[in-house]
Amino acid sequence: MTCDLTLRDVRSVARIVNLAARFNCRCVHVSANADTLVSARFAFSGNEIALARLRAQIDRIVAYETVVQ
Amino acid sequence: MNGAQAVIAALEREGVETIFGYPGGAIMPLYDALYEHPVRHVLVRHEAAAVFAASGYARTSGRVGVCCATSGPGATNLVTGLLDAMMDSVPLVAITGQVRTELMGTDGFQEADVCAITQPITKRNMLVTSADAIAPTLAEAFALARAGRPGPVLVDIPSDVLKAQTTTDVTAAPTKPFGRGGAGPRVSDAAVREAVARIRSARRPVAIIGGGVRAGAVDLYRMFVAMLGLPHAATINALGAAAPGDSTYLGMLGMHGLKAANKSVQRADLLIALGMRFDDRVTGKPDRFAREASVIHADIDATEFNKIVGADVTLHGDLRDTLRALIDELTAGHVPRFDDWAAEARRLGGPLPSDRIGDGVLSATDVLDRFFAAVPDDAIVTTDVGQHQMWAAQRARPAHPRRYATSAGLGAMGFGFPAAVGAAYANPTTPVFAIVGDGGFQMCLPELATLRRYDVPVKIVLIDNQNLGMVRQWQELFFSERYSATNLSDNPDFVAIARAYGIDAYAVDSPDGADAVIARFIAARGPALLHCACHPTENVWPMIPAGMTVDDLMEARAS
Repeated sequence: MTCDLTLRDVRSVARIVNLAARFNCRCVHVSANADTLVSARFAFSGNEIALARLRAQIDRIVAYETVVQ
Repeated sequence: MNGAQAVIAALEREGVETIFGYPGGAIMPLYDALYEHPVRHVLVRHEAAAVFAASGYARTSGRVGVCCATSGPGATNLVTGLLDAMMDSVPLVAITGQVRTELMGTDGFQEADVCAITQPITKRNMLVTSADAIAPTLAEAFALARAGRPGPVLVDIPSDVLKAQTTTDVTAAPTKPFGRGGAGPRVSDAAVREAVARIRSARRPVAIIGGGVRAGAVDLYRMFVAMLGLPHAATINALGAAAPGDSTYLGMLGMHGLKAANKSVQRADLLIALGMRFDDRVTGKPDRFAREASVIHADIDATEFNKIVGADVTLHGDLRDTLRALIDELTAGHVPRFDDWAAEARRLGGPLPSDRIGDGVLSATDVLDRFFAAVPDDAIVTTDVGQHQMWAAQRARPAHPRRYATSAGLGAMGFGFPAAVGAAYANPTTPVFAIVGDGGFQMCLPELATLRRYDVPVKIVLIDNQNLGMVRQWQELFFSERYSATNLSDNPDFVAIARAYGIDAYAVDSPDGADAVIARFIAARGPALLHCACHPTENVWPMIPAGMTVDDLMEARAS
């Protein structure tokens, strides 16, 4: 599973890598360019259910980053 | 103004009246700003109590709860409460002091990287690096705590930032006090039509309501189930969702849920899961849970869809909007009624089973039956975690979900008493009761000093069975009666402890005269403790063992 994300907070890169481990997935690639926003690319391997749960959690992290008042 | 004064101004702008906290070195500038300031600060006796009190405040009011603590140990003591709020979707803002910016990363005195520590257990956290950033950061924190699925946000502020001057106009920052910031997802019309089509063709539908109902959806939920005559069950976070006297309400679902609720879900051909997340304490074994049913799942958080139980129809959106859309779509055509099935579902239940523990001996279930019979209808009840939590959940019929607060997802002992303190501040004219066990109560005993100092009228019902009862029950049932580290027969004299703190205390140790003591306790003015010396080995029934289904339901101790 590959994810290309735009993040506000570079710390979310680490959070996503940690989540992958929590879901027993392997993070086989991570790269990020941090400017005003962070462009990050991840690739994960793992079983289908775990990857689906991971993807859902990643979407939630991104959503929480984009909530503004 | 300095950064600390900007924090206070930002709290005022958000409409915050009360914060719960404990001072320390790095957050002293904030406490200096609080001195003689109208924002009320409640000094608890441990930071864990501050976050639980803020949670109780939020759970029973719908407003954002606020707590504060100093750096290092103060901040780390908030961790359990933050996770509890994350699990139960409680809007909190925690403000922590941090060591001076120049000391960060040097293992300075009372330094902890609290942002790294709390990253997985908050919606987000922010380290504020300039005084000018305080107001916009707090505005964002409050908006995020409220937005969509509510939850905790932590804001970490170094002490030099709290002391630094700022010219930011705090009052100019746009905000939506007590609203829910951020545009949420709009539920799909096609999904609503599909859901209604399934409802119309169902024979044995059951609704399950979860904590999402607290998002202002109670009235619509009651309307929805009433228009269909729909049998419905609640997770522990939704107790109070059913209208008082609703005969189609089957009770709490799950491991210690009521038989009618669990059995009807298992027999259902359609589950309408609303604002709930299929916790393992509800589903047991997911692949055998409600295996005859198709599933409509409504939630504000798409992460929950297909996480545990697969959904045939997903309704992604605010539960109020979803229920309104379902009601509108139903009323635009045929509105089915399920009265016969609801009556059948009710017959799947029966009286709550209980252990026979002998005449003249006080049982916890007896005490709680008497308590709930006597407690005012509009009372707020909080509970701690363990057997008493389940016994209470089986019996309580709160008037509204905001009249009941418990640590559901995390199951954090030590929650119930400080949460009641927070609830009392949020609801100053409402009687507040904390039902606690002897284990959890001893995790937060010093909060008796908080009750006394502020004369908080919280009443504590202490179910003392001289055991860590739920663990003891599992040891009896699943660990060959090897009672390891669960015996609390050397408990202290709780009545004497309460009185030492200046709290009125009542005691009951026998069914004889219990009602009169309970009545005096409930009628007492101000804070009070009711010590209930209960039988030590009473178990919670019914019980579906972990990872099992209602087919494996245990109704009483095997004789």
